[in-house]
Amino acid sequence: MLIQIRDLHRVYQVGESEVRALNGVDLDIEQNEYVAIMGPSGSGKSTLMNILGCLDTPSQGSYQLKGKEIAERTDDELARIRNQEIGFVFQTFNLLARADALHNVELPLVYAGMKHEDRRRRARESLELVGLGDRMKHRPNELSGGQRQRVAIARALVNKPSIILADEPTGNLDSRTGEEIMAAFEAIWKAGNTVILVTHEPDIAEHARRVVRMRDGKIESDQVNPNPRSAKLPPAEANGAD
Amino acid sequence: MNLRESMGIALGGIRANKLRSFLTLLGIIIGVASVIAVVSFVEGLNRFVTQKLLNAGANVFVVDKWGFITSQEEFDEANKNPDVTLADADALREGMRHASLIVAQAGSSAPLRYRNKVMKGVPVNARSAGYDLVDDLTIEHGRHLSELDDTERRPVAVIGPEVAEELFGTTDALGKLVRIDRYEFEIVGVTKAKGKIFGQSQDRFATVPIQTFQKYWQERGSFSLAVKSVDQASLELAQQEARNILRARRHQRPGQKDHFGITTSETWLTLYHTLTGGIFVVSIGVAAISLFVGGIVIMNIMLVSVTERTREIGIRKALGARRRDILTQFLVESTTLSVSGGLVGIFFGASLALLVGAVTPLPAALSMGAVILGVIMSTGVGVFFGSYPAARAARLDPIEALRYE
Repeated sequence: MLIQIRDLHRVYQVGESEVRALNGVDLDIEQNEYVAIMGPSGSGKSTLMNILGCLDTPSQGSYQLKGKEIAERTDDELARIRNQEIGFVFQTFNLLARADALHNVELPLVYAGMKHEDRRRRARESLELVGLGDRMKHRPNELSGGQRQRVAIARALVNKPSIILADEPTGNLDSRTGEEIMAAFEAIWKAGNTVILVTHEPDIAEHARRVVRMRDGKIESDQVNPNPRSAKLPPAEANGAD
Repeated sequence: MNLRESMGIALGGIRANKLRSFLTLLGIIIGVASVIAVVSFVEGLNRFVTQKLLNAGANVFVVDKWGFITSQEEFDEANKNPDVTLADADALREGMRHASLIVAQAGSSAPLRYRNKVMKGVPVNARSAGYDLVDDLTIEHGRHLSELDDTERRPVAVIGPEVAEELFGTTDALGKLVRIDRYEFEIVGVTKAKGKIFGQSQDRFATVPIQTFQKYWQERGSFSLAVKSVDQASLELAQQEARNILRARRHQRPGQKDHFGITTSETWLTLYHTLTGGIFVVSIGVAAISLFVGGIVIMNIMLVSVTERTREIGIRKALGARRRDILTQFLVESTTLSVSGGLVGIFFGASLALLVGAVTPLPAALSMGAVILGVIMSTGVGVFFGSYPAARAARLDPIEALRYE
């Protein structure tokens, strides 16, 4: 079992009142699953994603990643887990504006303490994998939205993490480009990675093989997607289309 | 690990906003520049003064009526002392076993005339034989004044090269008759050029035998006696000897204060070091204030930078940066910033020192120590004032940092 969550609670103190963002969540995710977590805003899906990504820790309950309890880790240990086990893809790309694509992709390896030449090589491979081999020296503002998100995907993949965690990855993209990005995720999943998408768009969730719906801090439904939609464009072709 | 990256970010930031960076670093630049300039001046002066005092006055002490006077009371007191005479000099020559040379000295200034040429206010040095060792003079043409010149009160003079040049131009000065004040003197020697100290020419003078001087200008009055001991080791002993002889000649009782003064180049060095020490302390104070203000400005700019880059910090944390990675990054940035200022300050300070050294008579020497001091100070400022903003950056919560707009 890759992820095992039991009776997870997350309570925020907002002024006098308590906000129960997660109110008893149980969830298991296996290696090489393709899961979409859906729900309206305020349903707790972002909080769940933050906890899954070890950016936040639960108030109560258990979250085990690869059999290890996450709840009581120190800051430095959480940083290491984020570095080694999690690859983030954000709605707003979150690339460093001043750095070129190659350097952005390299960044997790910098914090992993990898040597310069190895970093360069791995980052290049990762960018080639998402079809951006010819854009390595471009800065984010010289790239299109879809290309930026593919740089972010390359960055998420570069340290060979256990989970790719994508938060509304197509939210800032037009539908055509969104489709390309979903094709990229599909390819990553097929290559044996675990992909968890957080989205409120049903079209996007349809790509996943399993859909978890949340409401009011709880899981409302957890179903296998009977007919997953396959993205039309493989990433290599998408490159030429931009 | 990401040291180079952090330095690159800091240097890139400086390049991108040149004016802002300059203003940011102004405090550091001024602080370091003033330290470098002052250290260079004091260093240059030190070398110069020490060399001059020790060269000219190696193993030399001076006996005169006044001694080392630093106040009006001391002056009033010393004024009551009897004159130091040429007879005192003879007594010392006779009685001292640890003195190799005793030169009686007096001085005035007078106009020099040769045909229709006049030089006003030329220093006239009256000396007994052996003065060349004490005054550090070498003959270029002719000869030095001799003991016979002195005892026979001959009207002869040795002149500095500047005087020779001005009065005689390219023609030979030797044997020419020059009027010093109202009296005619024969030039017997011209010294080698020594150049300038503090803008004062050392080559503009006329040296005459002291007894000739006494005959023409100063029948009474006090002389100073430069006494050269046999060697460094006997300097103290020689002073004691001179003191005993002079006290005996003045019929002084034991316990009574000397009715004359003895000063050594050591005395002057001590005074000099006290003065420059004062300059040093004041300038370090000024520099410390500039560095403090400069440090505050750096802290301010780093706090702005941390706020501007909250999102970047969030991204880095999401990708696995630990607190100490972020802390190091911002510390390296603030230190790079302030060391850049320090280097500019070193450059300005050194240029200032060398420029002033070139266009004014003040000597200046840029020492490696001063440069290292400048680098250390600016590094210290960067680390010290960068640590608070860096700690703030390191403490940021990754989720809030990522959400920051």
